[in-house]
Amino acid sequence: MSNSVLGFRQAHSPEGQAHSPEGQAHSPVAVMSMQQALNRALDEVLAENAKAVIFGEDCGRLGGVFRITDGLQAKYGEARVFDTPLAESGILGMSVGLAMAGFHPIPEVQFDGFAYPAINQIVCQIGRMNYRSRGTLPMPITLRVPSFGGIRAPEHHGESLEALFAHVPGLKVVSPSNPHEAYHLLKYAASRPDPVIFMEPKSRYWQKGEVGLANADAGGGSPTGAKVMRAGRHLTLVAWGAMVARCLQVAELAAEDGVDIEVLDVRWLKPIDAQALVTSVGKTRRAVVVHEAPLTSGLGAEVAQLITQGCFDTLKAPVERVTGFDVPYPSGDLEDEYIPNVDRILSGIQRVLEYRRG
Amino acid sequence: MAEISFPLPDLGEGLIEATVLEWLVSPGDQVERNQPLVEVETSKSAVELPSPQAGKVVRTFGGAGDRITVGEPLIVFEVPDNTAGIVGTVPKDEAPTRRVRLSAVLDED
Repeated sequence: MSNSVLGFRQAHSPEGQAHSPEGQAHSPVAVMSMQQALNRALDEVLAENAKAVIFGEDCGRLGGVFRITDGLQAKYGEARVFDTPLAESGILGMSVGLAMAGFHPIPEVQFDGFAYPAINQIVCQIGRMNYRSRGTLPMPITLRVPSFGGIRAPEHHGESLEALFAHVPGLKVVSPSNPHEAYHLLKYAASRPDPVIFMEPKSRYWQKGEVGLANADAGGGSPTGAKVMRAGRHLTLVAWGAMVARCLQVAELAAEDGVDIEVLDVRWLKPIDAQALVTSVGKTRRAVVVHEAPLTSGLGAEVAQLITQGCFDTLKAPVERVTGFDVPYPSGDLEDEYIPNVDRILSGIQRVLEYRRG
Repeated sequence: MAEISFPLPDLGEGLIEATVLEWLVSPGDQVERNQPLVEVETSKSAVELPSPQAGKVVRTFGGAGDRITVGEPLIVFEVPDNTAGIVGTVPKDEAPTRRVRLSAVLDED
């Protein structure tokens, strides 16, 4: 799917070479955690773009509470990697000013639950400035938000805000599912002229994986759009962020029962790659979308509509949603009850498999 | 391994410094989160400071009677690189257990 159709504007600077398919044959591969992959991506962004600056609570001297910015202040100095007060509205407000002045701010909101104090800056300024100024004041801001649950954290430290962000005109929203995606999607996001909300699945920070350092997609393609993480014939599981790994586990379990599952990592929650959804479900004719966020008005509804719109005539069953519940994202003690587990996802798959037209 | 420095926290009531009374841990000790680290005295009271995290003590700053200003280093911990942040735990990547089995007639029409 072309960039223009997906709503990605041309960057002011030339595209980076990191995702050039030409590098595939001899591309170096490193095994690292998502934490390390993000750190490496930020290191390279700072080295390649003199206008890039990183800041947030504990991002400087400490290197971030998840160590994503570890060592960057020592390497690039306090002018480019620095600590801020505990004031998210200020962090994002400063990002607006820096972006106006020609910088590429890469702010961090330490935990997703603390994005709320900054919501006015994100929605009313960052999302609108380019529109309001008729394109004269673009907002090249990459907002890193450690997101979702799964680490037994207290309230406010685990949320699932993607639908909130995706609903805001002017913002782009992306969530990586593994170290390879994290490295390339962050480098890509930081090369864009538009504001990108970069939702890091904090429960996946420590898992290691292979990162192809030269190319974004082992099978070619681009860092925009969705990506098939496992090919299958009978049903498509659609997910993003931490739920992709869980869906891949579910696909292995379903294979024991003779059901061949395709797992589609949406990656970009805005703009969503509708064509990839239709291509996958056009083949499998069944779909289940999985997310941590509450059911009602979640992005699962958007995904279900896009699939239904494109595959109505061939779908074998209505698109099923397996999601969190319509309650506040619970603290650590209850998150196993809240986050979709393999049995809830398998049950959703079973409902789709059983469906017969009446 | 990574080192994490913990400064003397704001002890409230506008106090800007504290005097070390007694260290309850020594370099080399492995401490748990919330374990008392040091007893300090302010002009208001004597308090035990709990550890903000688990880790191995690398260095402590100030001996009995020394004054430390709020925000200055108090203690340095050494923690494994794969330690969680200030909150939460590193999830175990274990094989899932299942109860639900799939049963379906997969017509290929």
